[in-house]
Amino acid sequence: MNKFIYITLTFLLLMVFGASWVIDTANSSRVLKKIKTVPNFSFINQNGQKFTNFNLEGNISIIDFMFTNCPGPCPIMANNMKELYDDYSKVHQVQFISITVDPKNDNIERLKQYSDSYGVNDVRWQFLTSQIDSIKNLKQNGFMLYADNLPQGHAVKFILVDHNGMIRQYYDGTDKASIAVLRKDIKLLLKELS
Amino acid sequence: MNKFRSFSILTVAATYLLIFIGGLVRVSGAGMGCPDWPKCFDRWIPPTNINQLPDHIDPALFNIVLAWIEYLNRLFGVFVGMFISLAMILAVKNYLLPKKVKVAVISAFFLTLIQGWLGSVLVHTVLNPITITLHLLLALLIVLLLVYAAQSSYYIEFPVLETHSQYDSKLKYFFYTLGVILFIEIILGTEIRGGLEMIRKENPNIDSQFLLKMLGPFKYAHTILGIVIVGLSTFIYFKLVIKSTNPSTVIKSTSLLIILLVFSQIILGEILVFFDVIPLIQLFHLWFASLVLGLVMVQYMAWNRSQLTNE
Repeated sequence: MNKFIYITLTFLLLMVFGASWVIDTANSSRVLKKIKTVPNFSFINQNGQKFTNFNLEGNISIIDFMFTNCPGPCPIMANNMKELYDDYSKVHQVQFISITVDPKNDNIERLKQYSDSYGVNDVRWQFLTSQIDSIKNLKQNGFMLYADNLPQGHAVKFILVDHNGMIRQYYDGTDKASIAVLRKDIKLLLKELS
Repeated sequence: MNKFRSFSILTVAATYLLIFIGGLVRVSGAGMGCPDWPKCFDRWIPPTNINQLPDHIDPALFNIVLAWIEYLNRLFGVFVGMFISLAMILAVKNYLLPKKVKVAVISAFFLTLIQGWLGSVLVHTVLNPITITLHLLLALLIVLLLVYAAQSSYYIEFPVLETHSQYDSKLKYFFYTLGVILFIEIILGTEIRGGLEMIRKENPNIDSQFLLKMLGPFKYAHTILGIVIVGLSTFIYFKLVIKSTNPSTVIKSTSLLIILLVFSQIILGEILVFFDVIPLIQLFHLWFASLVLGLVMVQYMAWNRSQLTNE
């Protein structure tokens, strides 16, 4: 009987140590590398106000490229963005930025309509427009995303940018699993911020 | 006979270890470690390097540590599945085993298949909370069926067991109540955990202590039922070990172990409430609960056995 108790206790100890090792390793595996700083830009938002790279500072930003007439993946991306926008309504450090790749059609009024249709009622979700060349440049050289065939050939990525304006990670804006990871990473950045 | 009996005990042990590993996946947040199913990043052996990812899978999903934690759970699951299949074959071929026991092992086998399928649903729904709870409940059901089969075959091989012991004959409904309450308590526990995660999703900056306060009624129900479980299991211990004639070793040791575990559960639960939601404590809190359930099954079977032989 004594032997049995010793074996059981040894097993239990092994499980405690094994499990805490696994939990620690899992926690420390969640690191977000710093990819690159978002370059300077100065765009206009859906309310006609200026929005620049300085507006990224002090906030955690989730950025995507879209256009309002886009039939394909954009509605899925916008719905996923909307879900995040609603879920993080109490966390004012998190902002969402959708940049149009079709400035010819997506003027300020159009973007305003679009943002209203998604129930945006505060500054946490910005819709930005500018000259097509500036947008293309920011997308290609700033965010290192494909921008040869705009507006159709825009990426479906959500980009996570930290409070120093540093790109930290890219996610598939149409994939729920990818967005689940994004949520975890936002939590990590919020910890960095506090 | 011998073969099935020893093998079924091994299967029970392996299943308990799998429940532990499953809990570990949950508390380490590795549930989505592999974004696809049954393969992991489209490979039978998970990638060890980000360059091995196929093009159609988002690299943001890749975390080598989480992938391997989840994959080990799947591999061990397959391993236990093979154990249960073998146990089923041994049970079916064994002409001494009563039909009831065979049915139990066959049911365990089919539930294991469903369990594997639920695993795929979990991945596809990105860890739907209700599915996570079902995944756990099914695991508990499987382990109970296996415990029942293992112990029954034990009694067939050693018919003399429990025949010299005499216990209070009116305990049946106490056992049933305890079993039902234990299941409800485990579901409430998963609700508390799920609820915590829901609130955390919407309020990522709030600390765990405040979160627990927000949960309110669930938490109190969990505590109150915990006290009821302490009372019931102490009462059963008292009846089976102290107020009985010649209690068997199985009865004595399981009853003591249940008391020890139930009291540890109270301590672990209070640590979670008063200090912090520590993942390691969460893991053992759940695993001990599953052990208590199995032990109560053993206790009940032993008591039932003596009732049948003393009739």
